[in-house]
Amino acid sequence: MFHQTPARSIVLVLALVALALYAIYGGYFAREIVVEIAILAILAISIDVVAGFGGMVSLCHGAILGVSAYTYGILTAKLGYPTLPSAVAAIGAAAVFGTIVGWITARTTGIYFIMATLAFGQMAYTVIFKSRWLGGDDGMGGLPRFDLDWAGISMNKSLPFALYALLLVLLCYVAAAWVMRSAFGRTLCGIHSNEPRMRAIGVSTVIHRARAMGFSGLLAGVAGIIAGQHIQYISPELLFWTVSGEALIVVILGGLGTLIGPMIGAIAFVLLKHELSGHTDHWHIVVGLVLIATVLAGGRGLYGQIEHWMTRRKARGAARNA
Amino acid sequence: MDAGFWVLQFLNALQYSMLLFLLSIGLTVIFGLLHFVNLAHGALYMMGAYLGISAAALTGSYWGAFVLAPLGVTLIGAVLYFTLIDRLRGAGPMNQVLVTFGLIFVFLDIARLGWGDIALGLDAPAAMSGTSHLLGVAYPTYRLFIIALGALVMAVLWIILSRTQIGAMIRASVENGDMAAAMGINVGRLFFAVFCVGCALAGLAGVVAAPVFSATTGMGISILIPTLIVVVIGGLGSLQGAIVGSLIVGFIETVGAAFLPSFAAVASYLLLAAILVLRPQGLIPARGA
Repeated sequence: MFHQTPARSIVLVLALVALALYAIYGGYFAREIVVEIAILAILAISIDVVAGFGGMVSLCHGAILGVSAYTYGILTAKLGYPTLPSAVAAIGAAAVFGTIVGWITARTTGIYFIMATLAFGQMAYTVIFKSRWLGGDDGMGGLPRFDLDWAGISMNKSLPFALYALLLVLLCYVAAAWVMRSAFGRTLCGIHSNEPRMRAIGVSTVIHRARAMGFSGLLAGVAGIIAGQHIQYISPELLFWTVSGEALIVVILGGLGTLIGPMIGAIAFVLLKHELSGHTDHWHIVVGLVLIATVLAGGRGLYGQIEHWMTRRKARGAARNA
Repeated sequence: MDAGFWVLQFLNALQYSMLLFLLSIGLTVIFGLLHFVNLAHGALYMMGAYLGISAAALTGSYWGAFVLAPLGVTLIGAVLYFTLIDRLRGAGPMNQVLVTFGLIFVFLDIARLGWGDIALGLDAPAAMSGTSHLLGVAYPTYRLFIIALGALVMAVLWIILSRTQIGAMIRASVENGDMAAAMGINVGRLFFAVFCVGCALAGLAGVVAAPVFSATTGMGISILIPTLIVVVIGGLGSLQGAIVGSLIVGFIETVGAAFLPSFAAVASYLLLAAILVLRPQGLIPARGA
């Protein structure tokens, strides 16, 4: 079950402030990294919603992100609609795609759910990869950013865009925390820990699972909009299953089922990647070994491990005082 | 499109099916026995191809690679078994998927470190480098060899599983591992042996595929998905399922691509999704699984 503990709020604010300062004082390259972190953080939070709380390990979230990015691309670059309504429609499309996949796969669990989401994600990937109209494997370019010139903000500059991406991270986190604290979030956790019992008390597990995938898809859709606007070019690679796999790694490295953990994981992952790729061409092997070590160490992840130590110390202190 | 075209497509599909079979049989039996999801199976296939290339360079003959590469991959598999797989058996599918996904990354970079980023070829043995005439078409002899090898492995496994005592022990353990252990079968040792055979077959598939497709660092990831589809369509843990599944996927992806290219690419995923939703136990489920 999710609790927005004071420690989590503090870490959230600290992380966002640190990223904002890094973007403000760090120059162009730092801002690019901040945007990359923001996209990965939102995608990881969206996966944490289903995997951490609903036990649904999805390998189609890259595809959901891609559906949003491509819908945005079609509406703006291809059909010339204004940016804001297009972005809303694209996020809606991602939510609908997530809901449909969630509803169809709701009766499967464990490895079967993983395989089923893989199948739907790869289907979306293949359809876009094969579509000449969408540019196929050449991708699609010319995606516009929001036009906020009327407010004196030029989104085409790197700093406003990085801060805008961070603002969306905050919004997505708050939305996810709010939903996970609601009755719906509690029900989702209940389904995860004992599905037959939840069904026995009259909860429709299928509808809850589908809604969870829909909400998660909505968040992934937001990440898709930033991804599309960031380099203003999208390619089918966004939808490939390894994108989801990498985001899942980020969730695990940060701490499954904590919401804040995936964000910490995204920061650590992107910084590690850039730091390592400066020194060696072989950062994959490091990430792979760190991942294996994390899972073998109990799978709590960076933030989860810290929280684990904190609660253990508190428990020990309470035992001493008693 | 004359008859020769169709014969050619048929043979191509059969050859691809046999490669898929060599990979999926290991994956499916490992899942059936150990309830372990090994995403790194494709990486073992890749290692088979690269080890085969080195072994061929070392021994100066394709047949040296043919023998040594599966042995090398088996050794890698044995190390993995004792360091990771045995520990993760009860850890749930998510941890297994994550650890073996990490292994994909590790093997990817091991291959890049050891053999570089360039695609490497392996020469087919001289006796099979030509073409044979079959049903009115000229077809590379080496590809016919792959088909024959796949059929041979299929037949051998079928006989072992259905006619021998060890086969009966494996079937009993797939059906009910606890009960098999209670009957005095050393299930742990059986698991290990089956895992090694699965790895050896993945390595064999890799070395056999190398002369046709050449070895690349991406080959493990690209073959993984079709193999997983085969395993799920056929039914996890089932030999007949792996046979039927690899034929279905092999033909969809080869023959389908020849006359309905845009549909064939999606068709195997559609089939996978349909099977998972309508018949999650697979077309030919292993009993008890």
